[in-house]
Amino acid sequence: MKKLTIAARLGLVNYRNQGRSRAAAHIEVDTGICNDACPHKCTTYMCPANCYTLDEMEQVHFQFEDCIECGTCLYACDQGAVSWHYPDPERGRGVNWSLG
Amino acid sequence: MEEKFDCIIVGGGIAGLSAALMLAKADVRFLLIERGEFCGAKNVSGGVLWGTDLSRLVPNYWKEDGGYERYVNHRRLTFMDEQSAFSLDFKSSHFDVPPYGGVTVLRARFDDWLAGKVQEAIDASAAADESLVATDILVEEILKEGGRVIGIRAGDERFYADCVILAEGVNNLLTRQIGLHESYVPADHVAVGVKEVIRFDRSVLEDRFQLGERSGLTNEFVGFASGGVEGGGFLYTNIDSISIGLVLGMTDLREKKHKPYDILNAFKAHPALTSMLRGGETLEYSAHVVSVGDLRGMPREIYADGVMVAGEAAGLLLNAGKAIQGMDYAMRSGILAAETVVAAKAKGDFSEDILKNYRTALENSYVLKDMRAFQDAVHLLHNPQMFGPVPNLICDFGRQFFSIGNDPTPKAGRMVRTAIKRHSSYWDLVKLGVKAARVL
Repeated sequence: MKKLTIAARLGLVNYRNQGRSRAAAHIEVDTGICNDACPHKCTTYMCPANCYTLDEMEQVHFQFEDCIECGTCLYACDQGAVSWHYPDPERGRGVNWSLG
Repeated sequence: MEEKFDCIIVGGGIAGLSAALMLAKADVRFLLIERGEFCGAKNVSGGVLWGTDLSRLVPNYWKEDGGYERYVNHRRLTFMDEQSAFSLDFKSSHFDVPPYGGVTVLRARFDDWLAGKVQEAIDASAAADESLVATDILVEEILKEGGRVIGIRAGDERFYADCVILAEGVNNLLTRQIGLHESYVPADHVAVGVKEVIRFDRSVLEDRFQLGERSGLTNEFVGFASGGVEGGGFLYTNIDSISIGLVLGMTDLREKKHKPYDILNAFKAHPALTSMLRGGETLEYSAHVVSVGDLRGMPREIYADGVMVAGEAAGLLLNAGKAIQGMDYAMRSGILAAETVVAAKAKGDFSEDILKNYRTALENSYVLKDMRAFQDAVHLLHNPQMFGPVPNLICDFGRQFFSIGNDPTPKAGRMVRTAIKRHSSYWDLVKLGVKAARVL
């Protein structure tokens, strides 16, 4: 089998409200804490959906659109930067598994 | 006051649906709220549902098409180094007899099927018009009055009940909200699971994995599979697909600085795996946090006045090296919580004193008995020897033992000594062996 990139993997995921232009974020990240205080920035490699990324200046960026609600960052972040909620079924994003 | 139920269940996973099925059969009026579009839409597992409780809930479930994927009659534990795979393999027709001791499931299908059984039970119950399963609704708040849980809030709507069963899964925000669990649960007590479901033609799958029409294989992997991170790999056969993935210790993953999906790619590229996966097509990639079965990571209590916590929300899961048991614990705890509700309703008393019986029943069941008995095994699986040195030396021995050359062959004992010297030390292994003999 060919190796799958994370983008190809996420392309297989069904999300809620995919047509919606501005979905409500269910996770909020204070990236100021990530960038100024965090010694490991671990979510940038631990998140299974690559929602946390580092730019060329080593700054952390977060987007919730690809989030598959696994909960990893809820535990991995020990700096208090992650405010984690479940997405609103109507206005939010989040997964809709076909197989699970 | 709006409509009042006997019980509100939060979460349409296995714990919640099992509780609902028991309540429906006992004519209890309940509301089950699921935030997904359907029950199962948000749920991920490896996954094997072990044990036989399913046949208590749905008698003769195996006679139906829906629900499970394959029953397990073939088990394999594989130790891996970079190039080799050394397996313990057990297959038996003892396991071919219903109700079966384990079935593989895909949760979006299985939970949806189980929810159908709940609906059938509601329709047949005396409370048919007063019980319901409601999907697409997110419970945001547990309502309390004078320290007692009295209902839930979803958006602007409030629903009231004599008691609430929280079956919200491992990311138990509501359990935390009412103070039964720490508001921040550290990474030490959880792992992250990543998985792909890979499709094959059914006949290819059955030939390749030596499956019967509905029988299946479970294969766990230790060593190279988890890329040096605490944890392991799994491969389970479904009807026309396999579930392949990893469970990785969260703290160790943080320290080793690996991406879970990169480790999954390396695992899938192992020579023992490539021949199994050839020609497959990935249908879905998924991930979810999973608790590791350490009692220190459990909620501080699993009941309070007017509320009980079931399934993984209560930290009920055990991986003691033989299997990952979580869904069967969810099922049993859902059943026991429902039985507690039925008894409480008969007495007209949903106070803490009565709901404590749920805790007692769980303590007396195999769930908490096993979790307590195998805590040392859970800790043993955190031993770094288990993820590198041990599988490496087992594979080294295998390579020596199964190599047939044209030089004089050393005795097996000498091969073992060579392998130990290369990968570990006698002292470390004796310590590990003594521990393992004691805890397993």
